[in-house]
Amino acid sequence: MGADRIRIGCGSASNHDRVESAVAMADKGDVDYISCDCLSERSIALHQMERIKNPDAGFDHRLPAFIRGLRPFLNRGGVLVGNFGAANVDAAAAAAKAALIEQQWSGKIAVIHGDSIRDLVLEQNLALPEIGATCRDVETNLVSANAYIGAEPIIEGLSAGAKVVIGGRIADPSLFVGPICYELGWDLRDWDRVAKATVAGHLLECGVHSTGGNHADPPYRPVDGLDALGFPLAEVSEQELIFSKQPGSGGVVNGQVARTQLGYEIHDPRSYLTPDVTADLSRVSVREVGLDRVAVDQVAGRERPETLKVVVGLYLGWKVVAEISYGGEGCVGRAKAAADVVRSRLKSLTGDIDEIRYDLIGYDSLFGRPLTTAEPTEVRLRVAARSNQEAVARAVAFEVEYLYFGPAAAAGVSIAIDRQVGVTPAFIAREAVTLRTEVIEI
Amino acid sequence: MKLREIAYARSGDKGNVSNICVFPYNEAHWDLLKRELTTERVREHFAVLAHGEVTRFEFLGLKGLNFVLTDALGGGVSMSLRTDIHGKAFASLLLELEIDNELVAAADSAVS
Repeated sequence: MGADRIRIGCGSASNHDRVESAVAMADKGDVDYISCDCLSERSIALHQMERIKNPDAGFDHRLPAFIRGLRPFLNRGGVLVGNFGAANVDAAAAAAKAALIEQQWSGKIAVIHGDSIRDLVLEQNLALPEIGATCRDVETNLVSANAYIGAEPIIEGLSAGAKVVIGGRIADPSLFVGPICYELGWDLRDWDRVAKATVAGHLLECGVHSTGGNHADPPYRPVDGLDALGFPLAEVSEQELIFSKQPGSGGVVNGQVARTQLGYEIHDPRSYLTPDVTADLSRVSVREVGLDRVAVDQVAGRERPETLKVVVGLYLGWKVVAEISYGGEGCVGRAKAAADVVRSRLKSLTGDIDEIRYDLIGYDSLFGRPLTTAEPTEVRLRVAARSNQEAVARAVAFEVEYLYFGPAAAAGVSIAIDRQVGVTPAFIAREAVTLRTEVIEI
Repeated sequence: MKLREIAYARSGDKGNVSNICVFPYNEAHWDLLKRELTTERVREHFAVLAHGEVTRFEFLGLKGLNFVLTDALGGGVSMSLRTDIHGKAFASLLLELEIDNELVAAADSAVS
């Protein structure tokens, strides 16, 4: 604390991200902090499912690998922050402790509790606006509820001297806001500064998406080194916010990449809502100030929202996806005829199927319509359905597989049947959620 | 020409809502984009996919537009039965919009 500048890197953008990129950030990024976002919108509900099966699971299983890989970084006094805890913060803390002991590391870790609020959302019977129901309406299917929490408990942990901070559903940008505000001594009610830290977090939270991954579109937007993209990093001080990436890595950080990352998952640019602030990105500007260096200016902020967003996980029954291919002239016609056959054979199950759709991959599956009149060389019929009954899901798959017998020359069936968990948002009064930061000495 | 020749875009998802931000490669095309990419045109272009409202916002500093499409993702990432549950390809669909070559040429000559 009390620094005039912080250099902070991203170490993960999802639970499927590469640990070696975090290690490269630790070894080559010259950063003081590495923050890891381990959760996408639905992953916390999937982690809850893992926990239901196994009480010791439900957190990001990569955590010990991070600790081993980042051992030299932690040795130098580097700080690791992440929402590794997902649906089981206690188990994550135990795993972190074991890995740190194995690495003969001693120091403090902070564990943030309190984001998991299934009982509370039922007690308050929160509305679920996207599905037009309340929590109690869907109680039997309600797997989990996690509040998106902000930077405050991270700062508590850091203030207590923790060098590893682990929580559950910490909001993506807040993983960065905590270290930045702590290190620069910024008050969490200084909205312009918190907004600046939040924009830094927003630029870093998507990992290699914002170092060229989601930008590459040759010949208009060629990006070199796509097989070795590096994680992004930021330098933040009172005067500036510089967006950059791990030195020596592939990809690019330029004005274009910065713009699309700033616009990513934003609705009204005047009001980007996080647990920490209402950030105003409407006047944000970017300047390229060097190789892979972009300065971001004109960030403003207003008071944080009074409510916290809650991600509610629901059982959705069974999902089946079954596919089969057709090629050569007339393939679209044969695939459509095949879809009609399946529709007709499934008629008796209509009442048991919650939703079903038919798409032709290579023709209309992404956009709901073909964009040209030219016939493709091949198409793949994809039938996807949801039902409460596994037997119904299997019946859908059976009918697609039976298409081997006609129309002609049907090829390559694939079938996937899974139990589904969905997520839907709710909102809860901030003061209803009680968070606790536990500091453990190792 | 296609919008792809003069602009780049990225789409993201929150629940069942999609947003697509789009920026011109050349700032000289910023006014053109504002005139051509109307809410109505985008709503029509995405009608098969997005069944709610389409709202257009401006990034004044970045010089870009942001389209927010509700009821756009077949229920959202975890509920949708579509292949593209996130609407990641929505950015590509937006860039398929046709832009009149002459309007682009006029915007270019206005600056040069």
